[in-house]
Amino acid sequence: MEALFAAVVGTLTACGLFLMLRGRTFPVIVGLTLLSYAVNLFLFSMGGLNTHAAPVIGESLSPSDPLPQALVLTAIVIGFAMTAFMVILAIRARSELGNDHVDGKQGDEEPPR
Amino acid sequence: MIAQHLPILPILLPMLAALVLLGLRLDDARQRLISTVATLLLVALATLLVLLAGSDEIRLYALGNWQAPFGIVLTLDRLAALMVLLTAVLALGCVAFACSGEDAQGSHFHGLFQLQLMGLNGAFLTGDLFNLFVFFEILLLASYALLMHGGGKARVGAGLHYVVLNLIGSALFLIALGVLYGATGTLNMLDMGQRMAALDGDQAALATTGALLLVVVFSLKAAALPLYFWLPRTYAAAPAPVAALFAIMTKVGVYALLRVESLIFAGTPASAPVQTWLWVAGLATLALATLGALGARDLRMLVAYLVLVSVGALLAAVGMGQRASDAALLYYLVHSTLVAAALFLIAELIDRQRGQAGTRLVCGRRLNQQRLLGGLFMVAAIGMVGLPPLSGALGKLWLLQAAGSEQGLWLWALLLLATLAALIALSRAGSVLFWASHKGKPDNQRVRPAQLAGVLWLLACLPLLTLFAGPISGYAEATAAQLGRSEVVSTPPTTGTGVRP
Amino acid sequence: MSLLWILLAPVAGSLLPLLAAQRGRLLLTLTALVPPLLALLLLGLTLPDLLAGDMPHVQLSWMPALGLDLALRLDGLGLLFALLILGLGSLIIVYAGYYLHRDEADARFLAYLLLFMGAMLGIVLADNLLLLWLFWELTGLASFLLIGFWSKLSDARRGARMSLVVTSTGGLALLAGILLIGQEVGSLALGDVLSAGDTLRASPHYPLIVALVLLGAFAKSAQFPLHFWLPHAMAAPTPVSAFLHSATMVKAGVFLLARLTPALGDTSLWALSLSLIGLATLLYGAWFALFERDLKGILAFSTISHLGLITLLLGLGSPLAIAAALLHVLNHALFKAALFMSAGIIDHETGTRDLGHLGGLARAMPLTATLTLMAAAAMAGLPPFNGFLSKELLLAATLDSRLFGGLGAAVTLLVGLAALLSVGYSLRLAYGVFFGRHRSDAPLPHDPPRGMLAPGLLLAGLCLLVGLLPMTLAAPLVTLASQAVQGNATPALDLALWHGPSLPLAISLIAVLGGLLAAMRQPQLARLVALFPRRDARWLFEAAVIRLTKASLWLTLKLENGSLQRYLALLLLTAVAMAGLGLSQVERLTGERGVQPLDGMLVLGAALMVFGAIGSALSHRWRLVSLLMLSVVGLSVALTFVRFSAPDLALTQLSVEVVSMILLMLALFFLPQRPPPWVSTRRILRDLLVAGLCGLVVASLNYALLTRESQSIADFFLRESVPGGGGTNVVNVILVDFRGFDTFGEITVLTLAGLATYKLLNRMKLFMPAGNVEGIHWSRHRHPMILAVIAQILLPLALLVSAYIFLRGHNQPGGGFIAGLITAVALLLQYLARGYDWTRQRLPLSYPLVAVSGLAIATATGLASWLFGYPFLTSTFGHFQLPLIGEIELASALLFDLGVYLAVVGATLMILVNLGRVTTVHRPSIEEEN
Repeated sequence: MEALFAAVVGTLTACGLFLMLRGRTFPVIVGLTLLSYAVNLFLFSMGGLNTHAAPVIGESLSPSDPLPQALVLTAIVIGFAMTAFMVILAIRARSELGNDHVDGKQGDEEPPR
Repeated sequence: MIAQHLPILPILLPMLAALVLLGLRLDDARQRLISTVATLLLVALATLLVLLAGSDEIRLYALGNWQAPFGIVLTLDRLAALMVLLTAVLALGCVAFACSGEDAQGSHFHGLFQLQLMGLNGAFLTGDLFNLFVFFEILLLASYALLMHGGGKARVGAGLHYVVLNLIGSALFLIALGVLYGATGTLNMLDMGQRMAALDGDQAALATTGALLLVVVFSLKAAALPLYFWLPRTYAAAPAPVAALFAIMTKVGVYALLRVESLIFAGTPASAPVQTWLWVAGLATLALATLGALGARDLRMLVAYLVLVSVGALLAAVGMGQRASDAALLYYLVHSTLVAAALFLIAELIDRQRGQAGTRLVCGRRLNQQRLLGGLFMVAAIGMVGLPPLSGALGKLWLLQAAGSEQGLWLWALLLLATLAALIALSRAGSVLFWASHKGKPDNQRVRPAQLAGVLWLLACLPLLTLFAGPISGYAEATAAQLGRSEVVSTPPTTGTGVRP
Repeated sequence: MSLLWILLAPVAGSLLPLLAAQRGRLLLTLTALVPPLLALLLLGLTLPDLLAGDMPHVQLSWMPALGLDLALRLDGLGLLFALLILGLGSLIIVYAGYYLHRDEADARFLAYLLLFMGAMLGIVLADNLLLLWLFWELTGLASFLLIGFWSKLSDARRGARMSLVVTSTGGLALLAGILLIGQEVGSLALGDVLSAGDTLRASPHYPLIVALVLLGAFAKSAQFPLHFWLPHAMAAPTPVSAFLHSATMVKAGVFLLARLTPALGDTSLWALSLSLIGLATLLYGAWFALFERDLKGILAFSTISHLGLITLLLGLGSPLAIAAALLHVLNHALFKAALFMSAGIIDHETGTRDLGHLGGLARAMPLTATLTLMAAAAMAGLPPFNGFLSKELLLAATLDSRLFGGLGAAVTLLVGLAALLSVGYSLRLAYGVFFGRHRSDAPLPHDPPRGMLAPGLLLAGLCLLVGLLPMTLAAPLVTLASQAVQGNATPALDLALWHGPSLPLAISLIAVLGGLLAAMRQPQLARLVALFPRRDARWLFEAAVIRLTKASLWLTLKLENGSLQRYLALLLLTAVAMAGLGLSQVERLTGERGVQPLDGMLVLGAALMVFGAIGSALSHRWRLVSLLMLSVVGLSVALTFVRFSAPDLALTQLSVEVVSMILLMLALFFLPQRPPPWVSTRRILRDLLVAGLCGLVVASLNYALLTRESQSIADFFLRESVPGGGGTNVVNVILVDFRGFDTFGEITVLTLAGLATYKLLNRMKLFMPAGNVEGIHWSRHRHPMILAVIAQILLPLALLVSAYIFLRGHNQPGGGFIAGLITAVALLLQYLARGYDWTRQRLPLSYPLVAVSGLAIATATGLASWLFGYPFLTSTFGHFQLPLIGEIELASALLFDLGVYLAVVGATLMILVNLGRVTTVHRPSIEEEN
């Protein structure tokens, strides 16, 4: 199971980053969201993958580590704030630069690596 | 009653100021007044903190009265106090400058500015790794907003790059944090350091991996070699007071590196690779940024590259990991931050009086206040290059001496060459801007008093740093001793406010 | 202590002229004269101690960490130079008073001059090598300002920059040398260094140290091949040339050599490099001086040659030679300053310095002529002038030097040749200006005002007097100076014009005759020289600088091409490299804790997520699809949280998901509708590689950590949650209590995001498509009835739910954040259903205010704990009975949570409603389309 979980997280990361490497703002935003999913899952899993172990006193016998959950909750919120800002920034960039390329350049010549 | 809460005041003071500025609908004049007064208070407070920290007592502030390592603690030691003071001094200059009208070009300038200060101070004071992340996000988001202040193609374009890169940086931060938590099971930096030192085998290797990732994140903030390309355009595009304030942003990265190096990685397997990376990346940054400065065709770009040069030197010094080098780098950090900020502000003043030519290093119209601006530029340039009689010379001398060993010769060569390059570039810039035969007659743009006050406030620090080099360097040395690199860190604090043995 | 004042007088005094700027020329000159005269007086007062044999010195600690002290000493060497600096300085100030034109900012000029004087004094008085270096660089800066004083002239600007760069390069080399010395000796105090000569000579770094120090000294003293900046420094006003570039600053290098001779001297490396470079410079300067047409040019090259002479003497290193060197420092300063002054006068009166246009001025300017002739004779080394003395000593020293072994004779010959040339160019200068016929058709000029002549005449007179009475005027000073350099080895000087017939005398006799010949045959020689093209080093220098600049610019642009994708890739690759470095140390990826079994649900969920992720990646060009795929992932993430017992996270994830989706939909509306064109496959592959590597690293890290135990601090929270935090939902208790400070920061971030977006959205012009890609117009019905009704019903319900979730948050999954998002969505629905204006009227809330007040409440709650003497954010709680909801406990944390709630509502609506407003307000209606 751990392997599967890790694989999923890895895939999410890869897809997210691939999207962020596309030169357009919208894929960047989508990729960013994917990436934050991946990161949150990663951080979350540091508390171990336990079933029926909600960290609510009296609900479960061996509650799992609540700290990562709290951290992830904060991370989700901050991630949401960042995503929201990024979305608005993308719109603003489109209106300032006239297109949605991250380098604000018309046309689509890709600079060589 | 307040005395016990001193360590958190640098965070709360800007917060309250921001609440007032954002909550009440005030006219510009009032906003400026409040913002300036708040920053002044911050300077006073920070001075007090430095004096307190001078007693070598490390004050811990346990938030919610939950002791470390379970709760979040603020740690007020010499280093934190120094950084807070530096930030406050810098901020005062920027606020004063902004009050001349820059702040009215967009909404909420002063509120965001104060929140930026809050984020910076929090990052300097916190002793908890995740809390550090939170404060990084605060100062980043505030910096995004401030960077876009006034809008415009260049700013939005540069901002987009800056934002996206830092978003990935934040993701990396979280992953590194996860790894470190997974390996050590704690978030308090001091505690983490001890647990890491106790680890062995694969667990230690994993922790090292987390450490290295963390270093990448901070290197991005500090703008080390493969990760600095975003900086020049961003800084050149930012509004002058913001660019000046950003002079501290790279130093936040340097600070964080120094902090985690001394607090978490010291005495663990992670320490060696981290230091090697910093040493190499620092020197490489130094070298390439020097070339960038030589090639720069715009004053703002030139200054941005010179900021990078100083960052390179600082990173290399962190990489040296000696007590002497730590002390030297702290002195040079203070100097380079202030002088870079001053130069950004001066560049703006020059821009205002050169019409079309702006800060591009081409023959343009004669400046209206040639003599004044020339003088300011001269002083700042001398400081930036690191020529006597200003503190830059002392700082560089100290760095060179600290790097005295055989390996240090690399730094010697590069730093001296960088100095020469800065000299060539800035003397050329100066002679083009102030001497070269001008076309067109000056317009009647004049430096506003507030702007002049801001610049002078920052420039005045240089002679002071020179004059009082003795005590200041003494403080730096004590700070380095307190950081105690290449020493085993002591036991974790169990009492709330107290002395770490 | 008075030493300090000697130093401070000119530095502080440099302000005086600025104060007297508007008071007229005479007063200005007088005020400028005060500092140097004062300093001279003080110098005179310290003289008795010096003569008594002890060395006056002061020492103030400055930066102990650096080994830098404000330490000054006055010994014979310092005295000689200090006298030159102050004495000549005063004369120059008088002269400058007449030289500068009325309209020039002479106050600033004099201020720079005094500043330089102070720096120069610092060099010669410094008792600490670092201090010496600081002043060394200062002189460079001052000379930069003075050369560039006539900044309108391009030559002045270039000359200034070149001299600055060349001398600073030397300065930096010198610095490295000094620091090395410091490391070898363990101190930078001059006394320690001078007494540590043996250690230094023994150290492996000795050659490097010598090389660096010499580089510094030679650059400053314009030794071949670093001489080329000096002729171009002549673009400076003549007083500057007279003072800095002949008498003082260029002597700093020589001074340093003399200063360090005890520490670094008497090795063959030192002796040979000094004497060979010196000899080369001597000849080079003399030779080209013969062919210059410009008066100042001649003087510049002759200065180079005489500096070479001094270096040569220091290199020969015999007691006599060193004494001779110091004597010549004095002599050269006297006659060269006089000559520059006369050159300035001629320039001033005739308007030209070109020998081609000058001639026959002797009758017109008798006084100037006498002054020039005397000084030129001294330069040529003719008796009875002072130059003769040092030349004789030079020849004598060369003759009895064993340094060159068999080549000794040849060296003597070359020195003789140099002497010959010096006679040649001196003659040519004097004759060319004052005799022959008057070339230009301009009216004959006349002698300048007495004040302008006086300093020059005084100096010329001194040249004569020193020549006549050397033992009384020069010998004591020189002896003192050379004692400072070589201690007891100092020879008893016997200076006289006539020692009876001797070999040196014979040589100089021949030299004089040869010089006459050379001067007469100069035109033919010039033609001969003209056959060999001569590149001015300045062009090489500037070309080099330009090439360097171009190259670095090219490289920089190549590296940072402004492509975000490249920067991202670099960042990711760095991360992968570093993480890989760490992972490579891990032996077994699978840890000790066993792996748990799989079940169908998990596989399904995983498949769903992978499908969604890859789907959204593949369909990134069809944005709506990509977005839908994304939401699939988001939902399954929420499910994952449910599965692995994190109800709070699941709730949060869901509510965030909803809001983000609305946001992204709106974003889609503004961003281009058409899919962007394909990019090169190479690029795709590269990105796949980078992203894949990152995924791999993350996955393996995650796996490695998942399969390992680590004892975390979790137990504490589980233990303390109820007794300490007063809540059973540990996650929430952590959020509002244990780590409330994080939450405090988190809502700050949210509010910031709101404000930032507000900042971005106002005053923004938008691309507003009236329809989608296919050109189909958006629906006419902006606010469909059904939606409005549903919204109406939903609102109170949603508010109730959020209130419930909020209240139970401390014990059950829920809490301020989730409640806030639910409220936000409900309110948002109103906007969607009824439009901006309708809702605005009925809901007159300023969302920034809501968010800020939330932040304020949170802060206030935190501060409240101060009243009870507890740290920020310390919580307390008590239990209460409430109807319907039942027994709840009200923790102060709940108040904090209320702050969170408000901040979330405010921030979220700030973002979305603003965007919504922008859409609805200037959304083009169909009518104006057609």
